[in-house]
Amino acid sequence: MITTLIAVDGSDHSLRAVDAVCRLAAAGLAMDVHVLNVQIPVESGHVRMFVEADAIEGYYRQEGLAALAEACARLDRAGIAHTRHLAVGHVADTIAHYATQLKAEQVVMGSHGRGALRHALMGSVATDVIRRVDAPVTLVR
Amino acid sequence: MDASTFLIAVAQIIMIDILLGGDNAVVIALACRRLPEAQRAKGIFWGVVGAIAVRIVLIFFAVQLLALPWLKLLGAVLLVWIGIKLLLPEDDDAHEGMAASDNLWGAVRTVIVADVVMSLDNVIAVAGAAHGNMALVVFGILVSVPIIVWGSRFVLKLMDRFPAVITLGGALLGWIAGGMAVSDSAVAGHFGELPGWLKYASGAAGAVLVVAVGKWLAHRHARKAEVIEISLDAPSGAPRGKQGGQA
Repeated sequence: MITTLIAVDGSDHSLRAVDAVCRLAAAGLAMDVHVLNVQIPVESGHVRMFVEADAIEGYYRQEGLAALAEACARLDRAGIAHTRHLAVGHVADTIAHYATQLKAEQVVMGSHGRGALRHALMGSVATDVIRRVDAPVTLVR
Repeated sequence: MDASTFLIAVAQIIMIDILLGGDNAVVIALACRRLPEAQRAKGIFWGVVGAIAVRIVLIFFAVQLLALPWLKLLGAVLLVWIGIKLLLPEDDDAHEGMAASDNLWGAVRTVIVADVVMSLDNVIAVAGAAHGNMALVVFGILVSVPIIVWGSRFVLKLMDRFPAVITLGGALLGWIAGGMAVSDSAVAGHFGELPGWLKYASGAAGAVLVVAVGKWLAHRHARKAEVIEISLDAPSGAPRGKQGGQA
């Protein structure tokens, strides 16, 4: 069993990462699949002053479930058992944290493959994850 | 005010709006979350209108007030504090949030109160950066509108990817505070004509002060756990109230 962590954000790129895992499974690789979505924290002191903690958590859950939904549906259709995870934090740090906690033997994620300008502006979460994780990281465009 | 001074002030105002205006959008969206679908757009619309109106009124008063002796010094002290707070991690035990309302006017009320509190820091900073130039103030408000409405996602992503942006923002607030302090009419009255370089020296000192104190305090603050796991199976339509710690 290869412990596999898929990081998804609901984008087409991350769904292609899911498809890649489905192909590995179809080829006969036995995997313990974990699907993770990371929400960027929205709460500053101000937000917490005006919005209940429950409402903030509800917001994370709603956004997270939406991001996970199609990825998990594809895994279900392929008959791949998986565990869902939702967390709030710095995106790359959190993916690395889960990879370590789960002792993931591979991490699979989408890469946006943005243009040079957007890449320079926003950088790439994928690059940061590679730097932080010891396991092999597969990037899917 | 010559063209380059104007452009620099514009850039400063945009930076301030990005750093201090982003959470306003988050509050508006969250406060309207419980509203029925049909009313949500209305709630968000009136929340944004309120946020803009509150900013216009407050900045108008702030610019008038800053012309009075000593108040620029006070504003400078406030700005240094706002800058330092920007650099600190959030306290965990901070506040009891207001209950999210499920009717339209309750939500709008929450949003307006939030607008007043949350635009205060923004207003002082923009008034400081605009040097009393109302054209700049109006421009600053116009720029902050799209950021309030659409920008929060982008701002959050930017801060997630580049935490250094926040340090830069703190330094900028310190810089504005420094320039503001020496342009106070009471200061000029005391020391007579001040040399031109003093404004820059004071600004630099303000920037260094904010970053140094902010970093030092942030270092001393015990950092909270950075990864928070959210349970996936709490029903999203659950009745309000504490739901307890679900694993």
